[in-house]
Amino acid sequence: MLENLIDGLARGSCYALLAVGFSLVFGILRRINLAYGACVMLGVYAAIWLDRHYRFAAPWVVPVVVLVTVAAGVYVERLCLAPHARRAAVTSMAASFAVWMQLQEVATLLLPRHSYPFPELFTLPPLELGPVLLRPEQLLALACALVAAGTLWWLLYRTRFGLAVRAMTENGIGAACVGINIPRMASLILMLASALGGIAGCLIVSIDGQVTAMFAMWATLKGMIAAMLGGLDSLAGAVAGGLLLGGAEACSQSLFGPQYRDACSYLLLLAVLAACPAGLSVLWRGRGKALPAVGQ
Amino acid sequence: MMEGYALGVMANAGLLAFLALSAYVLAIAGEMSFGQQAFFALGAYAGGMATALAGLPIALALLAAAAAGALGAALLGLLTLRLRGLYFSMSTLAAAEAVRIMLERFTLRVDVGGRMVGPDGTAGFGDLRYLLERGLEQRGFVLLIYALLLAVLLLLYAADRARFGTRLRMVGQDPELAGAFGIDVYRTKLAAAALAGAIAALGGALYAHYNTYVEPANFDVMLGVHAVSYALIGGLGTPLGPLVGVCFDIVLMEGSRVFEGYRMIAFGALVALFLIVRPRGLLDERTVDRIGAALRRMAPARLIYRRKK
Amino acid sequence: MRTVAMVVAGGLAMAMGGAALGAPLQASLDCRPAGGGPVYDCLIRLADANGAPVTGASFTVNADMPSMPMAHNMRPVPAVPHGAPGVYQARLALAMYGAWRIKLNIARPAPDRIVLAHDFFDAP
Repeated sequence: MLENLIDGLARGSCYALLAVGFSLVFGILRRINLAYGACVMLGVYAAIWLDRHYRFAAPWVVPVVVLVTVAAGVYVERLCLAPHARRAAVTSMAASFAVWMQLQEVATLLLPRHSYPFPELFTLPPLELGPVLLRPEQLLALACALVAAGTLWWLLYRTRFGLAVRAMTENGIGAACVGINIPRMASLILMLASALGGIAGCLIVSIDGQVTAMFAMWATLKGMIAAMLGGLDSLAGAVAGGLLLGGAEACSQSLFGPQYRDACSYLLLLAVLAACPAGLSVLWRGRGKALPAVGQ
Repeated sequence: MMEGYALGVMANAGLLAFLALSAYVLAIAGEMSFGQQAFFALGAYAGGMATALAGLPIALALLAAAAAGALGAALLGLLTLRLRGLYFSMSTLAAAEAVRIMLERFTLRVDVGGRMVGPDGTAGFGDLRYLLERGLEQRGFVLLIYALLLAVLLLLYAADRARFGTRLRMVGQDPELAGAFGIDVYRTKLAAAALAGAIAALGGALYAHYNTYVEPANFDVMLGVHAVSYALIGGLGTPLGPLVGVCFDIVLMEGSRVFEGYRMIAFGALVALFLIVRPRGLLDERTVDRIGAALRRMAPARLIYRRKK
Repeated sequence: MRTVAMVVAGGLAMAMGGAALGAPLQASLDCRPAGGGPVYDCLIRLADANGAPVTGASFTVNADMPSMPMAHNMRPVPAVPHGAPGVYQARLALAMYGAWRIKLNIARPAPDRIVLAHDFFDAP
């Protein structure tokens, strides 16, 4: 049970990173990027493909995944997000769905089979802590989530870049008036979100040991659910939502077996939204301004 | 039934149109629902059980399916319609997936005439032999699909011209303002959800009988997101919009067969580029207005376009 | 290659015209890659309820993916008799690898439809 829980928290950390990526894009750009999971999938698949053709040392896999994910993210941003006016969020969502199909096909062209093993990042043996066996991937996932959350907080609240981002969120026209380059900032935000997604992808795939062709859908869904659990424009909420999702899945796996894992995450989302329609972040932020609907 | 290619494409387009219209009704009300495939599934299973297990004629089965869809959508709407925007969309997706997972656990095998028929969990619900037993050819069933589609279109067109349609569009454009006019936003959206559920369920029942076999995996998130995309690409100005969206999609899909093996790449690029050029879809409200105005100019004022006061 | 053949078919039609009452048909599938992407040569064995092979059957074969049911409009391919009685052959050019549902649309001996599940994946 405890091992399941630790595994759940490790996976939850990955979900948290994915959720932060979603929350960044939605909270700041007011856009839903349905191609997010597909970008991460392409990054992972590209790394595996390169590894199969040109064997290289394990840790180099991570930068490859992140770079390809960011490149895919830039492509998505140029094609789906930038051309549409700020109010046409729904259209960019539909466009990102089309690009999801595209990127998924590119990935399956590279590697046509149903599942592929991911190269091992570590050759260290698992750590024994009392009765529990901790794998280094799980520890790394937990550490990464905390580091990423902390770095992001520092970036947003202690740097000029973060100040510009917050200004953009508050008042887009005002921010443009004071000289903030909104399109460039939008690109940078999406690159940041993609980088986080790439790291999350690496971690989750190394925890699982393999990647399947359903990865894009799975990552998009988990990221969105975790982001919603916490409240879509709250970073702390995204992290909390991710960990909660991971923990809940672990509990349901221990209690009901692995086949109900996905059902549990959906029911959890419905239950949380029924209780807190704007996500869990209202619990600590209080009822602020309502989240605008898609397209407004 | 020897299947013809063209008739098969037409049948699939017609069935997808039901799903697209279902998403369209809610989209006009301002809500993007990624969960209409759940009602498609409910209709498929309800309609299938009506003919295969209860031995009802197809007309009653279709009615039962539509009723099941409307009821299911209303119940789900009680929960989801309290949420706004993206939260609503994700909750419909989550609910639809929950329905699909429940269908994977649903087994109801009944002995009918010496054979076991009925839904069988993940193995699906096969043996929907109603049409085969009555010797209905593919052509006949495609006619049935399109006849019902036409009926739904006329219903939606009439609703659009009536007060309900106006209320729905007002709620979709600006819920606060609509509320200030005295419109009960929640009840209007609930009615729209029930209508959408009925349409999707009708399509689902037709799909089940056409295909003779359905399984829970058919009704996954992809189908739901596609439904919304058809409505968005076709435009929300008129009930013809989602149909145009389906045709556009199918034409693109079949056309990109040229890019053998790279079909989805070409298809995805075409759709994304199209949306840059026409962000509100092909038949958005403005275009429909313009077409209407052009028709009125072309014909003498007495002949066409009597607007009902 | 894994073959997961699941026969989901049942009895014969009791058509309005009063056709002969028959026994349920069964089918099984055996597919080999024919090279050049997801193209397969499939051998279909058609038998009646007692296992006796059905000769002289006339049917077409097409395929659909379970997860995106109406999107892949594959042209129906007529099946041709192939040597042994009850064995027919059809070449399926699929749009992509994955899990597919193969549909046999039978016109003779009597209108029927059999749906088989099969996974088509690239050889390792």
